[in-house]
Amino acid sequence: MSAGTPKSLASSGQKPIQEICHPLGAEETASVLTPSPDVGNTITSIGGKDLSLPNGTPVETSSPASSSSHLNRLQLDDDLDGETRDLFVTVEDPKKHVSTMETYITYMVATKTTRVEFDLPEYSVRRRYQDFDWLRTKLEDTQPTHLIPPLPEKFVMKGVVDRFSEEFVETRRKALDKFLKRVADHPVLSFNEHFNAFLSAKDLNKRLGLALLSKMGESVKYVTGGYKLRGRPVEFSAMGDYLDMFTQKLGTIDRIAQRIIKEQSEYQVELREYGPVYTTWALSEAELQGPLEGVASCMANCSSALDELTQDMSEDFLPVLREYVLYIESMKIVLKKRDNIQAEYEAKLEAAAFRKEEKASCTQVPTDVEKCHDRVECCNADLKSDWDRWQNNKRQDFRQLLTGMADHNIQYYEKCLAAWESVIPLLRDKQPQETETEED
Amino acid sequence: MMADSGPKEVAVIGNTELTSAELDNNIKNTMVEIEKGTSLLRKLEISVAEAEKRTGKNTVNMQEIYTVYLIETRPVDALTEGITPDSLWRRYSEFELLRNYLLVTYPFVVVAPLPEKRAEIVWHKLSADNMDPDFVERRRVGLENFLHRVASHPVLCNDNIFNIFLTEDKDWKEMVYETGFQAKADSRLKAVNAAFRVKNPDGRFTELKHYSDELQTVLSQLLRVRARVADRLYGVYKVHGNYGRVFSEWSAIEKEMGDGLQSAGHHMDAYAASVDDILEEEEHYADQLKEYLFYTDALRAVCRKHELTQFELEMVALDLACKKQQKEELVTGTVRTFSLKGMTSKLFGQETAEQREAKLQVLEQQLKEGEEAVKEKNTESDEFVKTAWVDIERFKDQKDRDLKEALISYAVMQISMCKKGIQVWTNAKECFNKM
Repeated sequence: MSAGTPKSLASSGQKPIQEICHPLGAEETASVLTPSPDVGNTITSIGGKDLSLPNGTPVETSSPASSSSHLNRLQLDDDLDGETRDLFVTVEDPKKHVSTMETYITYMVATKTTRVEFDLPEYSVRRRYQDFDWLRTKLEDTQPTHLIPPLPEKFVMKGVVDRFSEEFVETRRKALDKFLKRVADHPVLSFNEHFNAFLSAKDLNKRLGLALLSKMGESVKYVTGGYKLRGRPVEFSAMGDYLDMFTQKLGTIDRIAQRIIKEQSEYQVELREYGPVYTTWALSEAELQGPLEGVASCMANCSSALDELTQDMSEDFLPVLREYVLYIESMKIVLKKRDNIQAEYEAKLEAAAFRKEEKASCTQVPTDVEKCHDRVECCNADLKSDWDRWQNNKRQDFRQLLTGMADHNIQYYEKCLAAWESVIPLLRDKQPQETETEED
Repeated sequence: MMADSGPKEVAVIGNTELTSAELDNNIKNTMVEIEKGTSLLRKLEISVAEAEKRTGKNTVNMQEIYTVYLIETRPVDALTEGITPDSLWRRYSEFELLRNYLLVTYPFVVVAPLPEKRAEIVWHKLSADNMDPDFVERRRVGLENFLHRVASHPVLCNDNIFNIFLTEDKDWKEMVYETGFQAKADSRLKAVNAAFRVKNPDGRFTELKHYSDELQTVLSQLLRVRARVADRLYGVYKVHGNYGRVFSEWSAIEKEMGDGLQSAGHHMDAYAASVDDILEEEEHYADQLKEYLFYTDALRAVCRKHELTQFELEMVALDLACKKQQKEELVTGTVRTFSLKGMTSKLFGQETAEQREAKLQVLEQQLKEGEEAVKEKNTESDEFVKTAWVDIERFKDQKDRDLKEALISYAVMQISMCKKGIQVWTNAKECFNKM
């Protein structure tokens, strides 16, 4: 179960991360078919199997499925076993900055790591949303075949939402924290040079201009393509179908949750009127005055407990749902990219075969087509392992989300229960008794 | 608890092994020689067992559908012997007639109210239709409660008309009308007039009138808000049922998460369905409040009666004082106040001595009668105040007890609702954990 230290990851053990080129990146040597380091990681850690060593030898692409399912289990364990992690990132401490030009919020990004790729073991930098957005764009460009976690929504209608309210800032902070953690936990993305820079560079702006130039073209190419796809492998079709259906379900759940919040708010409005009527009644009574006032204060407690429930659901539940919708949208784009890469390969293969027929005795497969083939295989492997990781994270996230919802509701009922139980002795006796339960 | 004692009351005055005829006779006898304060309920089990629809022709000879209620009575000591109860059918209007009779005949009693004729102050799910089975059922319970209230009242339980209402079908209506109670009823106009013009009502009654007004206002408001709260609560619970459906659909596209989602969905369905029972129980609480809302009318009626008797006493006393003064004037020959008589006698000459003597005689007679009237009215008024106040104290104690019980059972209901909520969400959480 315990993996070999991630330091023995395919690419990192030998060269510094900056020198490793992604197969789909700008420069590459044809002979190097570096497997995705996550696959390599799995293989080395499973012991027994000596499929390949992470030093550039081609990996058997025949069993990416099995290795990714191993990876799946590994990832699960990885999350539970903090020992194997060597990179910890948090987003904390939002602060407001006011300048003549603009007002904005920065967050402190704190890093602790033992990785050699980082010069220092600890970092603490201030970043604003723009910087996160930059990072994500860089990741998308440099790792086009990987699933990049989503960011919280960029645009906020200035009139509708207060960008500087505590709730909004806190919700955003949590989402940004999740984003960085997901990247940090990803065996490929976490070694990305831009991620490193994001975490460590004092001033990110200097790299902004440089970074914008490179690698933009690549991602655009893969999205728009221009090739027609012949036969998509079943598993990727299944992924697409699943994402479509899942998005639909998420949308429905979002609507239901919003409706519940609305109904609860309206219920609360009535409750807030209900309690005071008992207080008014108490004024005209003698013997019943105590009991009636007890009931009134009980109602008030229930009302504020309900308020907390509604707020918790708004702040904790809805944002996570929305974030997954964004996640799925970006995943669909990656799937599309994959399709285009495959289509390009198929087109070139067909063209080559056609030329081969013309030129008789041409035994060598053109390197161009080879390259395309490699791209396809790589992309498929990356996507599959990321998919499995995503499925696993999704499962944990939703388990957490839904148990959280259950917990909020349980807490609400427990508060109400305590309030009513403390009223009973007051109602039963002529003299109000001491009660041990305090009313919330 | 709405009424004092239910049929579980064991105390019995003698007699076992009664035939139906003997039972009837017994009831009549007990009414004659009843010990004060023994309530009928201790001897007789009364219930409004069923409700049925009937069709018939009404007073203007048109077809109508109405509901009848089965009143069953059985002597308490016969419970163990399994004797079938006596029964008869009555409709709501007959209950109304009975109550009106009691109101007029015992004006010093705070007479228990009847349940609503028409459904008012309902929350949306309950229909306002009088034929709706839930409404009919709640009315049945209300009518039974009314009978229990009357039967456990120390004075009312002895009333002949009431007892026959319970046991004899034929000609009861005629009997009621024959009492001539309708003639005894005070006109509304008279009562209002008295309320305005009375000078010295007993302060306690004035206070009681204020209290009943306040209670009416606050209970009406409470019932209205409660109905709105019930509406909203219903909405909250029912929307959760949608989770059940979407979790089920979602589980179909999942592998490992599927089972957990599916079973959680079932719990959400159960949660949504549980609100129906919760709100039905709450209706019982609302009915208890409604009874006391309607009781305020009975309270005000007693106050009005006091004001009327007091006013009549004041009028009679005023009349007496007037007559006394007239006599004095006649005797002394002085005219202290302006009167047309005085003027005319000045203008047209004095009366003769015989005339004066005759007038004096009449006046003396009137004075005597007047004094008798004042004495009578005084006694009447005092008697009324006394008996009324006894009953009001009884009512106050009953109200405090009943409403306290109602609040307690409301709190118990809320506690049960919270516990159920905790249970459901804990179950759902377990399912989510298995995802």
